[in-house]
Amino acid sequence: MSGYFGIYNYWIYIALMMIGFYGVIAKMNLVKQAIALGIFQTGIFLFYISMAVVDGGTAPIWTTIGDGSLKHLGPYDNPLPHVLILTAIVVSVSILAVALALIINIKRAYGTIEYDEITRLDSDEIDDA
Amino acid sequence: MTSLQEILLVDSLLLVLVTVTAVAIIEVRSLYAVAMLTGVYSLLMALVWTNMHSMDVAFTEAAVGGGISTILLIGTLVHTVRDEKPAKRRLHLPALLVTVLTGGALIYGTFDMPDFGDPKATIHHYRVPEMMSQTVAFATGRVGKQAPPADYQPPPRMVPTLSAEQLAAERRRADERLKAGDHGDHHLHPADDFNGHVPNAVTSLLAAYRGYDTMFETTVIFTAGVALLLLLRRPRREDDEDEPQPGSEPLRGQVILRVMSKLFIPFILAFGFYVITHGELGPGGGFQGGVVIATAFILYALIYGRPALYAVISPGNLERLAALGVLVYSGVGAACLLLGGNFLDYAALDRASPGDGEALGMTLVEYGVGITVSTVMIIIFNQLAEQQPKARAS
Repeated sequence: MSGYFGIYNYWIYIALMMIGFYGVIAKMNLVKQAIALGIFQTGIFLFYISMAVVDGGTAPIWTTIGDGSLKHLGPYDNPLPHVLILTAIVVSVSILAVALALIINIKRAYGTIEYDEITRLDSDEIDDA
Repeated sequence: MTSLQEILLVDSLLLVLVTVTAVAIIEVRSLYAVAMLTGVYSLLMALVWTNMHSMDVAFTEAAVGGGISTILLIGTLVHTVRDEKPAKRRLHLPALLVTVLTGGALIYGTFDMPDFGDPKATIHHYRVPEMMSQTVAFATGRVGKQAPPADYQPPPRMVPTLSAEQLAAERRRADERLKAGDHGDHHLHPADDFNGHVPNAVTSLLAAYRGYDTMFETTVIFTAGVALLLLLRRPRREDDEDEPQPGSEPLRGQVILRVMSKLFIPFILAFGFYVITHGELGPGGGFQGGVVIATAFILYALIYGRPALYAVISPGNLERLAALGVLVYSGVGAACLLLGGNFLDYAALDRASPGDGEALGMTLVEYGVGITVSTVMIIIFNQLAEQQPKARAS
């Protein structure tokens, strides 16, 4: 396993991250920005999980046979990145929820969730004052 | 056991689909379509994780991404807008320039990365082989309900059981074996004690080795629930009862949905509890099971309306349960302290059989996580659904 195929996964993670990054910068809709941030996050998740793979490895769970003794399945994938990403996914949905709650409040206050319109409304307010 | 080539073959196909979906999510203007696409995206990602043997992550991704996030997004769109405003330009050139430059720099960085699946990569060494070799078992090599051997001395927790010189010698020996290409069974380094001896290494790391971290992750989720309550709760007005609550009645008339949901909900709940309880033996745990249980309640609220859900569990009780989960987690830690161990040193729970103590502590902790995660997810759903529709808000 060598050459460009060996680092293919890292390129996809970069592609996903950059798609998310582009969305955060270029899209004016706040819901879209929150989702784009989520895509950025999954890119990083992919990076971590890709690093955990071991050639010939299997899921890091030991198997027991009849009397409770162990059956050794051979090399295992690295469990540490799995743990990190497992908790990160649940935290990412919490982030999404708080972002959506803020967006609902913004909609209530401004009547729009387009970033450029919100900025215009803000600057109008300053001009009026 | 799958070879790396097989993994990569499936992987490369799935990741192409994932990337295409990601582009579609960014470019499609109908936000409802975007919400559904994020569900598709998450399910594809769950397949990618499964393909890479990361069962626990796949579980979480499918439940969280495919289930909860999609519902949250649609719940938000009801109260905001359905379509993104058309952009002035199709392509945002400065953004494109920034992303291409950043991406290029990152790709340049990947040339120094170890190959995919390379067992010699740095990440697979140092402490990981030790953790893996200890994940199960004391000297008997048996799981769970076993007594330690007669001459077994519980080592001081997290302290090397060998002297510094012995450890250094063992590490040198292990490095030589690695250089000789022998990295087969991960039993390379001598034992430090990692305080987690259950068959699922992921749970072992989650609840024991990274126990503090997981406790505060649970607190983060609890905090998110509190934030939602603070941001969206509004004082209940007199006329609230008269107004038709959004989301309270709309699906009641659907016979098929009503019957099917009644059929599904007991199985979803049973599965959720199985996933939490079984977390130390197989894929699963508090985060996954908690989200699965939450989806049962959310399904009930979607079909029968939130008043029916509140009859099952009141908002006040939901908030108390969310706090209780964090309390259970830290309470187990405190109990370990009182029994003479370190904080979250589960072996202290059962001195006669440390293996059982660890299994018990981890199960309790997973239940704490499960309670907080499920109730916070239900609270988040309730808060988003409780908002008045936009016509009334303005």
